[in-house]
Amino acid sequence: MAPPRGDASAAAEEAMLAQLEKRPVCTILIIIAMQTEALPVVNKFQLVEDPNTVFPEGVPWVRYHGVYKDLNINLIWPGKDPSLGVDSVGTVSASLVTYASIQALQPDLIINAGTAGGFKAKGACIGDVFLASEVAFHDRRIPIPVFDLYGVGLRQALSTPSLVKDLNLKVGKLSTGDSLDMSPQDEATIIANDATVKDMEGAAVAYVADLLKVPAIFVKAVTDLVDGDKPTADEFLQNLATVTAALNETVSQVVNFVNGKCLSEL
Amino acid sequence: MTAMAPHGDRSDAAEEATAAQLEKRPISTVVIIIAMQTEALPLVDRFQLIEDRDSLFPKGVPWVRYHGIYKDLNINLIWPGKDPTLGVDSVGTISASLVAYASISALQPDLIINAGTAGGFKAKGASISDVFLASEVAFHDRRIPIPVFDLYGVGLRQAFPTPNLLKELNLKAGKLSTGDSLDMSPQDEASIVANDATVKDMEGAAVAYVADMLKVPAIFVKAVTDIVDGEKPTAEEFLQNLAAVTAALGESVTQVIDFISGKCLSEL
Repeated sequence: MAPPRGDASAAAEEAMLAQLEKRPVCTILIIIAMQTEALPVVNKFQLVEDPNTVFPEGVPWVRYHGVYKDLNINLIWPGKDPSLGVDSVGTVSASLVTYASIQALQPDLIINAGTAGGFKAKGACIGDVFLASEVAFHDRRIPIPVFDLYGVGLRQALSTPSLVKDLNLKVGKLSTGDSLDMSPQDEATIIANDATVKDMEGAAVAYVADLLKVPAIFVKAVTDLVDGDKPTADEFLQNLATVTAALNETVSQVVNFVNGKCLSEL
Repeated sequence: MTAMAPHGDRSDAAEEATAAQLEKRPISTVVIIIAMQTEALPLVDRFQLIEDRDSLFPKGVPWVRYHGIYKDLNINLIWPGKDPTLGVDSVGTISASLVAYASISALQPDLIINAGTAGGFKAKGASISDVFLASEVAFHDRRIPIPVFDLYGVGLRQAFPTPNLLKELNLKAGKLSTGDSLDMSPQDEASIVANDATVKDMEGAAVAYVADMLKVPAIFVKAVTDIVDGEKPTAEEFLQNLAAVTAALGESVTQVIDFISGKCLSEL
């Protein structure tokens, strides 16, 4: 939640944030890029589609919402591309829906959930569900000092040690790019990012969440092994349905864990 | 005045009729999106725009709006600002799409002009300081090798057609390719060649995506700072030429604004 307008000093702002962290999480925003990934979660929490009251006319974004235990759950799916009919995957859509949803809903916590590629060399297996420790981009190369860091956009996820321990989640670094495949340049950057999982939205959600000072966590389920033998697109499509079930199970556990707790208890 | 369709059960035909009517009223509100401060300030000075202190934008975002009235136009120049953590211009597709979305929502412009510097391909006829008007835009760094997703990744869109503008100002026309890297990998190059691009930037296709989604016409004015298929390394050539080429860009954008003033979209 953004601090109020005015002349609040940095110290006052920190004090306010500290206080917010001591109130139970009330409103959560779950951002999911693909319909296949989203619908099991919608069904699990019996969320209802909002007939577009919070987003402007013309955008394909869909909001599902409902009350579950002590939480207001909002699940945002960027929808199908109006021209081409495929899920609006990638960093541009993800950043737009994150921005628009934070503005409209002022959530206490963002959960970006979805499927990802995993690196077996870093311990990932198909069906694993990772919580990201940090996120970065691997396809924004700007070889000018400081711009290079801006391109990589490294950010820490909200620290959630109790969540990790309680749910026995695997933890790893997440690297984001707009391509499903991986060029040698992308690979070099992913290795520099020390990533275990590779997706197409995380670092974009992190960027917007950071701008607007909303804590964010990233839950990513492995559909394909990037450093394995099978071609990515084939392996991804083959495993999407079953891995989505694993993702749903973990997201459900995360939501249940968050319920009734403050940010500082996570 | 908005290009966005109202709520309700409008048919496509009715929507087209509304858009056609809008195209016959003179353009009133323009949003100019410029990624770098160096590119933006000459135009802020030229049109004597004032920085907006009571921001349209939420607290925490670094985006800056400059605005003012010039001839018959409400001009809004949006610069995504310096990154709050790192202090460099917020270049690239994410910032560009966010400011496009936020400014269209807040200002409901009749026309968007995305202006900035770009790399050019000498094999396609580009020279340093040329100013191009993009005929179409596409991404070159979003490779999704699944049918239809591949097209989504490329995100090919036509710029709003402006034949009179092109002719009157004697601007060069060419295809624009967008990606988040200043350099160019072999994969990027292959996509750029497939896009048949003359100029290469870091924002255009993202602005086009948002403008299309919200049904606001958009044009793209790009000045060449470096020759991508030349001998000099991109970053160096870009930095060397930035100031001088920015002046050429400012001159062209001024001429575009002067041309637009008093005209309807259909007269462009």
